[in-house]
Amino acid sequence: MRKLVTKISIVLALLFAVDVLAGIALDWLRDHSPDGRYYKTKYSLESCKEDVVVIGSSRGEINYVSQVIEDSLGMSCWNAGRGGQGTPYFKAIQEGILTRYAPKVVILNVDDNDLETPPNYEHAGVLRPFYHSCAAIRPVLDKTSTFEWLLMKSRLYAYNSSFYYLIRPYFVEGLDGKTSDKGWKPRLDKMTAEFDGTLQPEPARTKLDTASVALFESIVTKLKEKGCRIFFVVSPNYGRTVSASSAIEYLKQTSAKNDIPLFIYSNDTSFITKPEYFVDPDHLNVDGARLFTQRLVEQIKPYTNTNNQHLSNDEKVFEVH
Amino acid sequence: MLFNSIDFAFFLPIVFFLFWLGARGSLRLQNLLLLVSSYIFYGWWDWRYLMLLIFSSLFDFYIGLALHKQEDGRRRSLLFWSSIGVNLTLLGFFKYYNFFADSFVNAFSMFGQQLHLPTLKVILPVGISFYTFQSMSYAINIYWRKLTPTRDILAYTAFVSFFPQLVAGPIERATNLLPQFYKPKEFDYSLITKGLKMMLLGFFMKVVIADRLSLYVDSVYNNIGMHTGWSFMVASFFFALQIYGDFAGYSLIAIGTAKLFGFNLMQNFNRPYFSASFRDFWSRWHISLSTWFKDYVYVPLGGNRGSKPRTYFNLFTTFLVSGLWHGANWTFVVWGAMHGAFQIIERMIKNTVNIKLPKVVSILFVFALTCLAWVFFRAKSVNDAFYVIQTMFTHAGDSVHIGDKGIFAFSIMGIFMLFAMEFTMEYYPDFSLLNHRRAPVRFATILVMLVYIISLGVFDGSQFIYFQF
Repeated sequence: MRKLVTKISIVLALLFAVDVLAGIALDWLRDHSPDGRYYKTKYSLESCKEDVVVIGSSRGEINYVSQVIEDSLGMSCWNAGRGGQGTPYFKAIQEGILTRYAPKVVILNVDDNDLETPPNYEHAGVLRPFYHSCAAIRPVLDKTSTFEWLLMKSRLYAYNSSFYYLIRPYFVEGLDGKTSDKGWKPRLDKMTAEFDGTLQPEPARTKLDTASVALFESIVTKLKEKGCRIFFVVSPNYGRTVSASSAIEYLKQTSAKNDIPLFIYSNDTSFITKPEYFVDPDHLNVDGARLFTQRLVEQIKPYTNTNNQHLSNDEKVFEVH
Repeated sequence: MLFNSIDFAFFLPIVFFLFWLGARGSLRLQNLLLLVSSYIFYGWWDWRYLMLLIFSSLFDFYIGLALHKQEDGRRRSLLFWSSIGVNLTLLGFFKYYNFFADSFVNAFSMFGQQLHLPTLKVILPVGISFYTFQSMSYAINIYWRKLTPTRDILAYTAFVSFFPQLVAGPIERATNLLPQFYKPKEFDYSLITKGLKMMLLGFFMKVVIADRLSLYVDSVYNNIGMHTGWSFMVASFFFALQIYGDFAGYSLIAIGTAKLFGFNLMQNFNRPYFSASFRDFWSRWHISLSTWFKDYVYVPLGGNRGSKPRTYFNLFTTFLVSGLWHGANWTFVVWGAMHGAFQIIERMIKNTVNIKLPKVVSILFVFALTCLAWVFFRAKSVNDAFYVIQTMFTHAGDSVHIGDKGIFAFSIMGIFMLFAMEFTMEYYPDFSLLNHRRAPVRFATILVMLVYIISLGVFDGSQFIYFQF
């Protein structure tokens, strides 16, 4: 038994040493990344000081052009959107940002999925490399698994499966957007489909997920407490109209209750019938994103200096057709 | 409790040290500890279904004793069939009731008759197919007078519920495993280190290879309307390796865990994708189940003792039942039927034509057809499976879905590592880095594997595929 315990102890000691050394190397790679996903996340959590911050999933990351917002509003802008993410990631980003400063404007891109499916904490696991450097995100990450706090003692585990996207920017720059794009991820392709005149019918109503709604509300409450002017935006989808989903109905109510302007583009025929503006049915390409952002900033411009003051009912919900 | 969970990482060392420090030298204490640990292991998932396991164990224990005592042929037969009946009823109720009810309703509706059968809202008790088969083999062997029943209820219940192999096998025979519960275990350093190495390899196959591949496979098979034939080919190839990594990995962990307590379980996989024939494949894949079906279904049906058509019938029936054992869905029945047909065609060709293909060609041919059959195993319905196969051959498309490039890249890396490992074990069995004669090489290999598992394993608490069976 003693021999066994000794040998297992040797293996564990060696593993600990490798873990520490690998952790130092991986932290260095993360911190010196020229661009890419880890650069963007690090910047969102630890460095950004912009007036305007965009929070969202891939539709947030791809559809909102920071430069257009800056030029139109005369305010600095950072797009903190991240593909494949939902409310847990948004919450972590919100916490990471608000511990440092309060942006003047926060644009929350909201999809039906964000509120109608349970919060996917596992997807927010992409934030694990920042667990130790950004204490504000720990409560979110600790929910990814029961013993996450314990697993996070390992630096190798913190970087689990991250190597491809961690190393890629050292060889190919700009694949997730250049640093000059300020978080925006431009997509250059165009859909090849031609609009045949028919839109997909409204999807069947799905019940809201209470946990996701609670998480979303906590994001909104925190941002409001810090005095940020929030905008809810529903981006367009190609070939599909969505006007009365549970998420949209909920957003309308929340907007009315909290004086938060809501802009619904999911019925905007100047987008949803134009394949030339999309890279795929859910994401705008460069041309579409520029046009969409331009349209949006024209609408939000009058509100950017209103802080959290009371809005009349006419000023809250805008359904663009 | 899952092997790939933190719960198990705490559970196993506790049981290990209690077993070797607290219960050393005492057979009753060791068996009692294993029994209690096994019930905790099983009850961790849902304690209510523990009652089912206890009932099944006790029922067959007493049936075994009664069978042994009974000399009257009719009464023996009655006892035997009551054991088979109770075990199959449990299995049928929890696993197959809804399947057969739905199938009846669908069959009647084809003839314009509307049949209404209630469906059950019960979850399938984990491992029920495994422990009922293990328990049934005990009663069958006593009935055939190949085994003397034990009077040690502790040893018997510990045998049926032995946690390393309780929920997904290997399905042990009482003749092999039960006698191991009759002698107190002595601490065997070499057996324990062998077990630990097997566990390490098993975890590697599960979390690094199988779970990584599953991310791609799921992305394709869960949205079949969105993908090209090439993507289906890649996904089906990945699935073949995923299910192997998943189940062979589980089996290695199970066998390795058993060794930590001084038990030897049977080998369950023997590099099946190097098989040059389907007969060979089934002597290497899920060996504990295929030999179970051979001993308790194929041979009792007559095996190969009758005419050729009768042998083919027996073979086909055995594979059909084996398919149904895997799951309550027609997809599994078709999968079983395909393997039955492959074996029959293979035998017919062998009996009539003298063709000798190069071994590598045979291996590739068997692997390709095995992948084709896996399509039915993975698809949600028979229609989906046909759609996938049709698309593979008619709409190959000009692109392959890559999905997340990181996931795809690590999947390819995993496949290369699996191939290298399997190839070495198959053709250079004496070369093993894990068992190298030089300690630094062994330690370095263990360390690299641990680092690889932590860095590139998928830790989403995924179930083992065979848990659902």
